[in-house]
Amino acid sequence: MILITQQVLTTLGWIVLALAISPMVWLIFQPYFKSLSPAERRANGLLHDILTPEQCRQLVWRGYLEVPSPSTAQRVYRVPRARGYVQVIENGRAVMRLCVQPVECLPDADVVVLHKLMIEANEEHYLQKANKYLCSE
Amino acid sequence: MGMLRVMSRRGDDRVTWDEQKVLEGDLEATAAIREAERIFSQERAKGATAFRLDPGKPAQRIEEFDRTAEQIVLVPRVVGG
Repeated sequence: MILITQQVLTTLGWIVLALAISPMVWLIFQPYFKSLSPAERRANGLLHDILTPEQCRQLVWRGYLEVPSPSTAQRVYRVPRARGYVQVIENGRAVMRLCVQPVECLPDADVVVLHKLMIEANEEHYLQKANKYLCSE
Repeated sequence: MGMLRVMSRRGDDRVTWDEQKVLEGDLEATAAIREAERIFSQERAKGATAFRLDPGKPAQRIEEFDRTAEQIVLVPRVVGG
């Protein structure tokens, strides 16, 4: 009887442990599963067509893409690889965060391309549309 | 060859055309370019922004369909989040 109780408790313990760690495992592997979808693969193709090899490396290793402002020499936009705020860096300091998103749900890689194209060729409109959050020291 | 790429939840939808064949009067190529023009107008009416991409040059925003472009990318309307 004691042996059976111990076995049941051990099994329950393993189940609880598995349930506890499964969200963490999902968080770790989710990007890999997402990148297997046809939409993400196509979006990654467009991203690689548009970025230079150096920009691709920056996106992979640093998790963001830096897009220089065409209008202001000391300003750089830091576009995250996944969804999130775009940071505005001026003279090496973060001065603002921008929140801009497409009205249609797009794969993450397409969102990076969207930010890059809007900043490079339509910066004024991009800034008009963005919700701005000033960074305080 | 020209290519129109339209961003969507499916990744990007593509239409390609051969400008040279259009000039030669090829029916299939003409149909492809008409389809690209139709999609371009339809997406622009929905608020999409169009960019012309040429190798080695910065992206350029365009208002009208340009059949001489090597690549045109249409991005959906954006809003502040």
